[in-house]
Amino acid sequence: MAVITLPYKYLERLTRTDRKTILDKVAFIGSDVERIEEDHADVEFFPDRPDLFSPEGVARVMRGYLGIETGLSSYPVKPSGIKFTIDPALANIRPVLGAAVIRGVSFDNESIQSIMSLQESLHWAVGRGRSKVAIGIHDMDTVKPPFHYIASRPSRGFIPLDFKEKMTMTEILEKHPKGRDYAKLVKDFPLYPLIVDDDDHVLSFPPIINGERTRVTLDTKNILLDTTGTDKRAVAVAVNIICTAMAEAGAKIESVEIGGVQTPTLAPAERMVSVHECSRLLGIDLTTASMAELLRKMRFGAEPAGADTVKVQVPCYRADIMHDWDLFEDVAIAYGYDRLESQPPKTFTVGKPHPVQVNAALAREAFCGLGYLEVMPFTLTNEDVLYRKMQRDEKKGVLHVMHPISIENTVVRTELLPLLLEFLTLNRHRELPQRLFTVGDVVDFCHTYQQAAGVSTHPDADFSEAYASADAMLHELSIDYTVKESADAAFIDGRRGDIIVDGKKIGVFGEIHPAVLNAFEIEHSVAAFEFDLRAVPGYPVL
Amino acid sequence: MAELTQNEKRLLAILEKEKKADAPHLAGLLEATPEAVVQWAHLAQDNGLALVERAVAKEFVYTDEGKAYVKNGLPETQLLRFILPETTLADLQKHEAFKIGFGQLRKKGLVKVEGTSVTKIAGISTDADETSLKNPSDADPRTKELIKRGILQETETVRYTIAISPTGLALVKQGLDLRGEAGTLTRDQIISGEWKNLNLRKYDVSKLPKKAYPGKIHPYQRIIGEMREILLEMGFTELYGGIVQQSFWNFDALFQPQDHPAREMQDTFYLKETLPLPKGYEKVKAMHECGGETSSTGWGGIWKEEKAEQCVLRTHTTSVSIQYLANNPNPPVKAFCVGRVYRRETIDTTHLAEFEQLEGIVMDEDVSFGNLLGILREFYNRMGFESVRFKPSFYPYTEPSLDAEVYVDGIGWIEMGGAGVFREEVTAPLGINYPVLAWGLGVSRIAMLRLGLKDLRYLHKSDVAFLRETPSLRPNKGGI
Repeated sequence: MAVITLPYKYLERLTRTDRKTILDKVAFIGSDVERIEEDHADVEFFPDRPDLFSPEGVARVMRGYLGIETGLSSYPVKPSGIKFTIDPALANIRPVLGAAVIRGVSFDNESIQSIMSLQESLHWAVGRGRSKVAIGIHDMDTVKPPFHYIASRPSRGFIPLDFKEKMTMTEILEKHPKGRDYAKLVKDFPLYPLIVDDDDHVLSFPPIINGERTRVTLDTKNILLDTTGTDKRAVAVAVNIICTAMAEAGAKIESVEIGGVQTPTLAPAERMVSVHECSRLLGIDLTTASMAELLRKMRFGAEPAGADTVKVQVPCYRADIMHDWDLFEDVAIAYGYDRLESQPPKTFTVGKPHPVQVNAALAREAFCGLGYLEVMPFTLTNEDVLYRKMQRDEKKGVLHVMHPISIENTVVRTELLPLLLEFLTLNRHRELPQRLFTVGDVVDFCHTYQQAAGVSTHPDADFSEAYASADAMLHELSIDYTVKESADAAFIDGRRGDIIVDGKKIGVFGEIHPAVLNAFEIEHSVAAFEFDLRAVPGYPVL
Repeated sequence: MAELTQNEKRLLAILEKEKKADAPHLAGLLEATPEAVVQWAHLAQDNGLALVERAVAKEFVYTDEGKAYVKNGLPETQLLRFILPETTLADLQKHEAFKIGFGQLRKKGLVKVEGTSVTKIAGISTDADETSLKNPSDADPRTKELIKRGILQETETVRYTIAISPTGLALVKQGLDLRGEAGTLTRDQIISGEWKNLNLRKYDVSKLPKKAYPGKIHPYQRIIGEMREILLEMGFTELYGGIVQQSFWNFDALFQPQDHPAREMQDTFYLKETLPLPKGYEKVKAMHECGGETSSTGWGGIWKEEKAEQCVLRTHTTSVSIQYLANNPNPPVKAFCVGRVYRRETIDTTHLAEFEQLEGIVMDEDVSFGNLLGILREFYNRMGFESVRFKPSFYPYTEPSLDAEVYVDGIGWIEMGGAGVFREEVTAPLGINYPVLAWGLGVSRIAMLRLGLKDLRYLHKSDVAFLRETPSLRPNKGGI
């Protein structure tokens, strides 16, 4: 999530209204006001709206939403006459380039900060951590056009931003903080991307770091924007968002010639949308005129174009408009979610519980009848608890998560009993007897199914109790079973039984082995049992 | 007056004749120990039926040393008897009583020592001390001295005298039921009618009972159960699905781009296992790459099969509902699923790596975004939340999207969950031709509010005392 700082004075000047009016309504366009401070507010916007990651962008949409200025904002673009060449060797490294010239900027500390934070937010939301898009902003008056985007030997050096000495690109990846952060994006290539001017001065080593030479200062009047990446659409969106934000702040945008094409154009895209489809989706009555008006409130160009059609001009900065329904959401926002008629659908349907949950509920009922208390352990656990402490071999079907958060949570549970024993450890100091049960999911490879398990601990807990409880549970669930002597090392030899259904072992019961009790630091004997609920007649095949 | 015990009655019956007697005597008559009799007497005294007198008698007993002195005289007396006119100090030192006796002689000024000769002083003796030794008395300072010297010991003997009070006497005169008390009612007594003659022991109802702990359902499971019931009542079909899902169903089928941050290793639990892609996956691929046959542009780029084949621990139950929709594309569908979902989060008081999610879907010919708001309002109202409001939001697979908030007294507006209409990019490749309303909520958030928990882990690593103390029925106050 992107939290954007909105300085009140600047926001009020851009929006042409007072802060209270803005802050009262800003949540209705899709945001969370995080903090209200003396001179600014911090507001969180959703990642699909990178055009709102600057005060300029927020002011633009709020002017529309508050009815101060509706319809499309147009941004005239003049050719700068500047060319940018691309080295074909970049095709497999970082092929896409976008650029623009932004003239007549007047920075103060706040507006420099705002453009830098917009740049960072775009790196995150559009650039996917600079892999898809990386943005460089340069003082254009320190360098000489035309500019060249080249693939360079890593041994080439320049002075990176915030450093005093020249470093090679290899050194930058090792020593510069940004170099270390983003090295993984380029280090495997034989050549690194580099942007130089006509005198071979380095502007930028994308996507890592700019050169110190083109640092933007309070005196900067003209900006060269470079945007490199791997995705054409994402690069274009980043350029459009920065250019239109700067234009909102009063700058003039000029295009650059890349491969014979003038870019950016900042021109809107066009969509013809159906009023009927929108009305049906939202559940409100709309006309071409009312829908167009709502869209203009959200800063689209919109005019009725036929009986059921509205012609929409989508501003170049609206990266999120992929589909007609994306426009319909803006119609709903402009209309107001609080004004939508909220009625449940009228179609008659009958509710039906899932048989697995019906079984689970019956198992819970029977456990409660036997005086067992339900617990709900985590499903993530570790081999130590599941197998080693239980003196059992690791199950074949156990799933290891690839990047566990801690050594406590490395596998998905394949049985429940060890987790119940963990509960007894946790509750050692609580009054006895303790009888605990759980019913829940376990996995065998990629297959999920349910088991039920119970433990009873008190000084007299024994095999007979385990057998009696297991027998009662199995009987209540209509599981027709036989018993064979078990070899499960978690239980005491001669005090353990395997539960057999149709010749297959579906569970086990008995008196927990004292070595297991020691491993779990449990002080009283434990009568325990666990069985597979797939043995319940009618358990669905999943 | 509390009900008399059988023993109190027996005591009173004896006292009617004895009037006043000491405990050992009564104990003999009652065939009990004096201590027991005193205990019964105190109970009777509490009821105003008897009077218990406690008398403390002091007695002096001789220590082993004292016993010898009674026979042989105090050491100083022994020495005095030994001293003759010619006796020297050296002679005296040979006497066995010298060590203790000589000091006493000097202290009491009974002898004079000049050089090596020891002479008695006439006119004084140890007679008074000897008398005190033989007849110790509390008032005699010499007795105290003898106690100090470890010759005598003072002991106290408590004697209880028990008398019947006029009230007690009156009560006994009215007649006492002296039948034996029965603690339990036996089968024989019930069948034979012998119970009619029984005097069943009565219990003191002002005493708290011994705690009994019923077996019961976990309070969190109860909340899940309540939500299930509401949805079943609202006509929803329950779904159940695996916690291990293919990325295809967890992400790709939901139009989550393959480079989306939520799909990265630091947010999702990946597994080494892979599963083959379902039939018709190419349509999903086309949707990602170019928007398929819809008005969408798609995400662009290349969609990779191997990324979609990889298994994950499901990050939402939507992976279950989307498969259900793909298998049941004919309207109407109203379904829900409650299940454990996984996020690769560092575990702390408010974040767990696994938690319950509840999710519902409605697919029908003419359902709208407004209907979605209606379902949510109904659901939250039934949960007890009277005020519900909706805010624009963003979820990758719904459009339009919203967040639902409910008002809780004393806390304010609380975000409960997200909802939206499945994007056409989600439904079209799976052959679903009608709008799908979808919504989800974090069950644990409501559980935390309702149970007043400060730490979410407590739901899963519960203290048995907490589970025992939390009642099955908790009055619902505005949803919590």
